Amino acid sequence: MLIEVGHFALVLSLVISVLLIVVPSIGLYQNKSSLAQLAKPLVWAQSFWITIAFFVLMSAFLTNDFSVKYVAENSNTQLPILYKASAVWGSHEGSLLLWVFVLSLWTVAVSIFSKRIPSNLINQTLIVLGAISFGFLLFLLFTSNPFERLMMPPIEGRELNPLLQDFGLAVHPPMLYMGYVGLAVPFAFVLSALIRGQLDSTWIRWTRPWTLISWSFLTIGITLGSWWAYYELGWGGWWFWDPVENASFMPWLVATALIHSLSVSEKRGAFKQWTVLLAIGGFSLSLLGTFLVRSGVLTSVHAFATDPTRGLFILIFLFIVIGGSLVLYTWRSSLLQQSNPFSLLSRETGLLINNILLVTAMLSVLLGTLYPLILDSLNLGKISVGAPYFNAVFVPIMIPGVLALAVYPYVRWKKDSALRVFNLLKLEWVCIVLLTLLSWVLITKNIFVLISIALFIWVINHVGALFLRRLKAKSKLSMSFLGMVVAHLGIAVFVLGATVTTQLGIEKDIKMSLGETQTIAGYDFVFNGVSPHSKDNYSGFIGDISVFKNNKIVTQLRPEKRLYQTGMPMTEASIDPSITRDLYVALGESLEEGAWSVRIYYKPLVRWIWLGGLMIALGALLAAVDRRYLMRVKS
Amino acid sequence: MIFSWQHIIMLILSCLFIVWFLYRPIKSGLSDADSNIAINKHRQEELAIDINQGLIDDEQSQVAESEIISTLANELKDSNKDSIAIRPMNWSISIFIFLISLSIALYSQLSPKVLPSSQDLSEPVSMIESIEKLQAFLEENPSDFQALKMMGLAQIGIGNADESIEAFEKAYLINPEDIDLLLQYASAIAATQEGQFDGKSKELIEKAFNLNPLSVQVLYFSGIVAAHEGNLNGAIEFWEKARYLTPVDHPDRNIIEEAIDTVSNLQVK
Repeated sequence: MLIEVGHFALVLSLVISVLLIVVPSIGLYQNKSSLAQLAKPLVWAQSFWITIAFFVLMSAFLTNDFSVKYVAENSNTQLPILYKASAVWGSHEGSLLLWVFVLSLWTVAVSIFSKRIPSNLINQTLIVLGAISFGFLLFLLFTSNPFERLMMPPIEGRELNPLLQDFGLAVHPPMLYMGYVGLAVPFAFVLSALIRGQLDSTWIRWTRPWTLISWSFLTIGITLGSWWAYYELGWGGWWFWDPVENASFMPWLVATALIHSLSVSEKRGAFKQWTVLLAIGGFSLSLLGTFLVRSGVLTSVHAFATDPTRGLFILIFLFIVIGGSLVLYTWRSSLLQQSNPFSLLSRETGLLINNILLVTAMLSVLLGTLYPLILDSLNLGKISVGAPYFNAVFVPIMIPGVLALAVYPYVRWKKDSALRVFNLLKLEWVCIVLLTLLSWVLITKNIFVLISIALFIWVINHVGALFLRRLKAKSKLSMSFLGMVVAHLGIAVFVLGATVTTQLGIEKDIKMSLGETQTIAGYDFVFNGVSPHSKDNYSGFIGDISVFKNNKIVTQLRPEKRLYQTGMPMTEASIDPSITRDLYVALGESLEEGAWSVRIYYKPLVRWIWLGGLMIALGALLAAVDRRYLMRVKS
Repeated sequence: MIFSWQHIIMLILSCLFIVWFLYRPIKSGLSDADSNIAINKHRQEELAIDINQGLIDDEQSQVAESEIISTLANELKDSNKDSIAIRPMNWSISIFIFLISLSIALYSQLSPKVLPSSQDLSEPVSMIESIEKLQAFLEENPSDFQALKMMGLAQIGIGNADESIEAFEKAYLINPEDIDLLLQYASAIAATQEGQFDGKSKELIEKAFNLNPLSVQVLYFSGIVAAHEGNLNGAIEFWEKARYLTPVDHPDRNIIEEAIDTVSNLQVK
């Protein structure tokens, strides 16, 4: 009966979302505040039932209730308890339920942390969020019901995709969804402002902290995904330009542009039209990502849903959201005309350049992701757009962006002179040139690594000097400023880590016999053999490799080859991590006479990639708690 | 539709919770004007900080100051209208009716007509009883994919190959990409062809292979098709792959190894 309670809870939340759209709207339209104020309780009620539904499904997994089709298809009695819980979002239906659950959490958060926001704006925002929730609940209940029963339940369930039986899966999707779905909040603020025709200072101010928080989650989600792919897929890569990765990266790029554009709109009253478009674009790309993953048009590690009906539903929803928003934008565009002027050399221009580069980068990723799909759908042949395209197009667009992000914080608002900026920074520039030359002489002759070192020094030097100048001038350091410093340093750390590990990493695919030694980057890898191994729901082999440096043992690595019940073989890499390098070993196939094929990687600075990502996310969180967003307002 | 006291409690709780706030509405917070005044004041303070930090020059700061003032002036519209009172009772009744009727209507469409009972899980039933149950269920739910698949399996279990094929065909029309169905359907057809996997049964297995070339079952059946065509090397290749993908202690492994041995012996002879 519990399953029916969960199912009914979802139905109730759908009906409550209809009430959320209708009743407070009547209140706002007819100036009946008692009805308008009902938005918050309706949000709480809706969220309560969605939470109940979510945990009912989780309990069905934990109690092995195979009368639920979704549980029977994604779990079995042998699955470890952690993966039973995370299997809730291991496939399409549960993943959609997680989406709706996360959206309800965001909506409740907006309703609670809204004391400083005018009632009418917040109620209208909750109505828009309710409308989005209505669309997804409809989708969930009518095309992807996770509570569907099996009339004749099997005695044992199937296997959860072994790739997803990992701690990374338990945390990566919820984080990513927090970011993905979080972009609905700035979208809802913008749409509310457009619906009300009240495009004032208030919506701009309150859109920014919510954008920062959701962007921070999105950054953490993408970073975790990259980390998971690195250790779980056994290829030693950290980014594959997989279409589904791109689907999360595109909204990230637009949201990055949005937080910068919002800072100009907030402080100087410029870029308002652009900001509105970016907020609509960010959430639309998040929906596009959902369409790409859920419709089955993509085939990848992530695309576990292949149902055209679902795709059609999301496509229609996507058209309604984007089309409706753009119609609203056109209708209200006269209210967005006013923009305060600024000169060619000003901080506003710098942020505009940042926006242009980020949006161009997003468009290049979008083109590379959609082009093969469009060709295929028009029967013009199958092509694959991979890393060579993305690296060739994306990287050159982003290099000027990294250069600009270090310099523009020195440029004044509204108008500045090139001579003043030059005089201010000439010492830094001399220092940067000298340090880069020193790196060329002492560290590397690899041009790509040298460029990344130069960029690293460039950002560190500028951002560090700016920070020291503020300290020296005894200025009050705002959280917003600290957030900017940390996030920009994070980008420098990421750029260096990504380039060094790509350019200087060593990879060897070799056959190793018992007792054989292979030397890579000064490390001796000794193969001690392989032994059978079994646990919970898999059996397989575990290798034993000792790593020495200068005849001293560094670590003992134990890569695994697992065979799950589905028969799917899985490689579990063994990694010796450190801040300067990773030693990574993956077991390949069994060869003749006890020999095995083994993949050995030496990955310098690979951890810097994720460290950089976390710093960027931390920077956004710091900026989101700036004093200006915590100020008290008396009515 | 399955409806119980838990559902009634859920409905009543929802209605009472929402209606409570009609009688005790949450107090209105800030007005737009108050908010805009506060924000623009704060913008002025930030401008003063920017001037102190040299982030804007004096001349431009005056322009910026006047921009803030004019923005505020534009934003301060007279929007102080008195709120119109409502009749909570009318709204309460409307919300009650709407919530209850729409929830029940939707749930009656979406919920299963019968629940799998605990007996289904614990006590094995005979094949004939299963078929009777399935027939009864399919009369009410003629498009239930899982039930049709079950029916196909149950019918072949008692030797009714034609009825089995009929059920599988119906299931196939609903979901032609279910691997299990494709293999079971192919087996049922083969049963009517003296175990020969040719014609439609071969096509179904080829389709399954295209959909999932890494499935052990698909590889096993593909091997059978190849063996029936006299392509013994091809059959061994499929089964070797299947063996590789099957865990050492898996019972299916013996079947695969047996098949490999049989065909290998044939080749030797």
